[in-house]
Amino acid sequence: MASSARPGRFLPGDPRVEEPYRLTPQLAFRVAILAFLALTVFAVLFLRLWALQVLSGDKYLAVANDNRVRTLRLEAPRGPILDKYGNVLVENVPGWRAELWPADLPKTWPAQRRELQALSSLTGVPLKEMLAQLKAHALDPLTPIVVQRGLRQDQIFYIREHDAQFPGVRLANSYLRKYPYQSLGAQVLGYVGQITAGEYKTMKKKGYQPSDSIGQAGIEATYDTYLRGKDGKAQLTVDSLGRPKGAITPLTSFTPGEALRLTIDIGLQRAAERALVYGIQRAHDASYAHADGGAIVAMDPRNGAILAMASYPTYQPSIFVGHKDAQKLAPLLNPKVADAANHPGINRAIDASYPPGSTFKPVTALAAMQEHLVTPFEQLQCSPVYTAYKQPFLNWTPLINQSMTLTTALAESCDTYFYELGRRFYVLPSDRGHPLQGWAHRFGLGDKTGIDIGPEVSGLIPTPEWRCKAYGGPPCSGYVDRIWKPGYSIQMAIGQGQILVTPLQMTRLFALIANGGKLVTPHIADDIEIPGTKNQPARVLRRFGAQSPQPSGVDPTALSYVQRGLDEATHSPIGTSSGVFGSFPIDIAGKTGSAEKLVSLPGFPYPSNQTQSWWCGYGPYNQPTIVVCALIENGGHGGTSAAPAALKVFEHYFGKNGQLTNHISD
Amino acid sequence: MTIEAVDRRSRGLRPHHRAEAVGLGGVLRRLDWLLLAALAATAGYGLWAIDGITMHDVGGSSMSRQALYVFAGGFLFLGALFVDPDTYRRLWRPIYFGTLGLMVFVLAAGAATRGSKRWVDVGFFKFQPSEFGKVLFVLALAGLLAERSRSITSARATLTALGYGIVPILLVFVQPDIGTALVYTSALGALLFVAGVRWWHLGALAAATVITALAVLWLLPAAGFNVLKPYQAARLTGFTHPGNDPRGATYNLRQSITAVGAGGLRGRGVIGATQTRLNYLPEHATDFAFASLAEERGFFGASILLLLYLLIVWRALKIVANARDMFTAIVAGGIAFMFMFQVFVNAAMTMGIAPITGIPLPFVSVGGSSMITNFLAIGILQAIHLRRPGRRRA
Repeated sequence: MASSARPGRFLPGDPRVEEPYRLTPQLAFRVAILAFLALTVFAVLFLRLWALQVLSGDKYLAVANDNRVRTLRLEAPRGPILDKYGNVLVENVPGWRAELWPADLPKTWPAQRRELQALSSLTGVPLKEMLAQLKAHALDPLTPIVVQRGLRQDQIFYIREHDAQFPGVRLANSYLRKYPYQSLGAQVLGYVGQITAGEYKTMKKKGYQPSDSIGQAGIEATYDTYLRGKDGKAQLTVDSLGRPKGAITPLTSFTPGEALRLTIDIGLQRAAERALVYGIQRAHDASYAHADGGAIVAMDPRNGAILAMASYPTYQPSIFVGHKDAQKLAPLLNPKVADAANHPGINRAIDASYPPGSTFKPVTALAAMQEHLVTPFEQLQCSPVYTAYKQPFLNWTPLINQSMTLTTALAESCDTYFYELGRRFYVLPSDRGHPLQGWAHRFGLGDKTGIDIGPEVSGLIPTPEWRCKAYGGPPCSGYVDRIWKPGYSIQMAIGQGQILVTPLQMTRLFALIANGGKLVTPHIADDIEIPGTKNQPARVLRRFGAQSPQPSGVDPTALSYVQRGLDEATHSPIGTSSGVFGSFPIDIAGKTGSAEKLVSLPGFPYPSNQTQSWWCGYGPYNQPTIVVCALIENGGHGGTSAAPAALKVFEHYFGKNGQLTNHISD
Repeated sequence: MTIEAVDRRSRGLRPHHRAEAVGLGGVLRRLDWLLLAALAATAGYGLWAIDGITMHDVGGSSMSRQALYVFAGGFLFLGALFVDPDTYRRLWRPIYFGTLGLMVFVLAAGAATRGSKRWVDVGFFKFQPSEFGKVLFVLALAGLLAERSRSITSARATLTALGYGIVPILLVFVQPDIGTALVYTSALGALLFVAGVRWWHLGALAAATVITALAVLWLLPAAGFNVLKPYQAARLTGFTHPGNDPRGATYNLRQSITAVGAGGLRGRGVIGATQTRLNYLPEHATDFAFASLAEERGFFGASILLLLYLLIVWRALKIVANARDMFTAIVAGGIAFMFMFQVFVNAAMTMGIAPITGIPLPFVSVGGSSMITNFLAIGILQAIHLRRPGRRRA
């Protein structure tokens, strides 16, 4: 074809003469090729269009629909927490939260970072934290991440006004916990916080979502399933920037959380917390300068209902709500700061253990009578020093030197009397086991009480077996450390040595003494109810109630001598806390305790022996309705700080002049 | 008979068509009415389509603005009818260098838009020289090839044309406007093809093009030298592995395929087309207009547009065959192929069978430069048709 224009075949072409143009076969062929190409190209387009739109149309329609619809959670308001009389201890206030929708964030990293940085400087949530959360939810771009709860008005306005700057950021309704009584009962109530990755892993099966907030401690954690309610679902159409288009369409409405009624009396709780501060002040006045913490438990000895549970130092649970201030949270979360602040987050009533000191003596007395090692009438010498195994054991006071019965020994808290009982336990043949420790456990010491909030420690009732194991055994013989020496039994008889109990365990012990030998299960939650209105009484959905007290098997006669001893301790002229309770119009019985404990005080290089101040008791003596246990850390003698603190609680409970308030009817 | 007369007779071998004046009557008699009808239908359909596509955008529908461009394009179309295409042939050098100058000017002083410099702001109107350049490029290179039509089979002619062609292509490429550079390249290929360059020359050029593409996309980056910015390379190759990166380069592609597919047989309507309305489909008024149309109007609506395009291409190829001389044949061939190439790459990219490049959909995508250029191109086709010889192959 190309040869048709090639010169020189016949005559040489005249360069001045242009050949006439005609459609050469060559060009026609090429045009045909172009036409064929055009047909092919359009055929391809049509086929592809057909494949996408007609053959797979339904599939892509579903994808497109998923693209624009977001399923939202309608947060259910968390149930309120009420005290015994229906006072609202924790309630909800509506607020706003900022959420991140990962799928709607800018697609490029610089734009995304710019947006998150802007959000970070607005809310104060560190950029790192947001990125970590985004990374954690990388596989689930359609679930929002809660950046901040409890936004301030100005933050809400800013985000709304700069809508275009924040694609993928949504404001949603949320509820915030509010504490009308501020710090009262902080450790008991606990707080609500965002579910952690670890918690989510274990709780996923129960239907928890990664953006949930859950009860993190105390009552809020234990009864989370009742309090949290059920979230609703709604749909929202959004554009590609995640901006809502149109209204929210509810699918299922939320169910608000149920109300939880506690056995706590908030008035008594306030009295107990003030009593702690008062007790510490008393200790300071008596030059126990290191008194800096403590716990008071008030309980109904008949059923284990906790009426007050105070722990000092304490904190404001509201610091966990909304905008979190790292400085305010540090005493709770940062171990170093917590050390300096003496651990306000710890509930000392259940989560800390101390040697019980003389408050343990009723256990020794009961166990010794049960094991027939002593009778109530046997006279034993109370002397300044008790010597056994060539070892001197000192009485707490050098001023007494006379023989006395068990009742008087309890009233005067004579150490040497109980040293002798301790020795008698030590010399028991091995086939008798360790009855002192055995009875201690039967009275609930050294074991978790099973109270419905945590965390709880079990304390320790040491035995020879424990000693051997704890010091590296077995083998047990041949190592000085691993041997149970007579001194340990003698010390334990007065609640000293390595024995550790929690204030709640002691409360339970004195409840047992008060109620005639039955071991109660302490509890704080009373029932779950739908809160009533003015016209409608509250409807109880589920009553947790008290578990029936378990008989401990203690002989009632033996118990009555101990009861008498405790009553003399607060009333006889020689009683250790007669000065405190003697003039109180209601008959209160109780025991002081002054326990030596090695304590590492902040600012001191070595641990030193500090006296833990205890007082446990109950009243009215004949028909006890309340048992109170007070502990002041490093507070000196029981009569110095703990007993006066406990009195404050009784004063509130019975009225200052003993005029019984309505409490007695409970 | 004067010498001149003899001379004129001897020149009778030359076709008698130089500087033919075509009057209004001639226009009405000889116009390709089918092509005109196709043009009017496509432009009208495009206006209707863009109205639905942009109805929910910020600033509302772009239809009225587009209608203004159609109006301006119509004038240019009419004007083109009365210009003898031979004028372009004679003036191919000024056209060529003028185009180059404009492109260099754009690079030097053009306003930076979205990281690339392709616009010239002339106050009331920002125009894109590279769009107009498409037609000018075809005219200039067709002039060059017609001038060398006798020696067109020589390698020298091929290389010369290639040399002239590659400069504007590179200038567009560095703007950077890869899509338009591809259109220019396709036009260059079509021009050489219609002009009658030897098959093996064409084959060698095609091979060189493939090797260059491989080098740019794969070999040179492997050697640590990136010709393209990473996002460009990702867009070009993304269609071969869609959906493996939910947030990356293929996000647009995925949304586009979803939009097309969701349209179904009858389309989702303007209100129901959520991909477009809620902005999941990016650039739906320009680069992804076809996907948006397919979503709103369905298979039927998209097919009508494709058939209209096919009609235009068919008429254009007919004009190639009926052209009165080499130059006009080459011009018509170049325009026809370039048009087809744009339609194919744009529509195919929205359906995931071609690389994603910023090529506007003729007569639909929002944009004045493209609209006016397309009218001008069809106008030139009509001008060629008006001056076809006799009625042999009308």
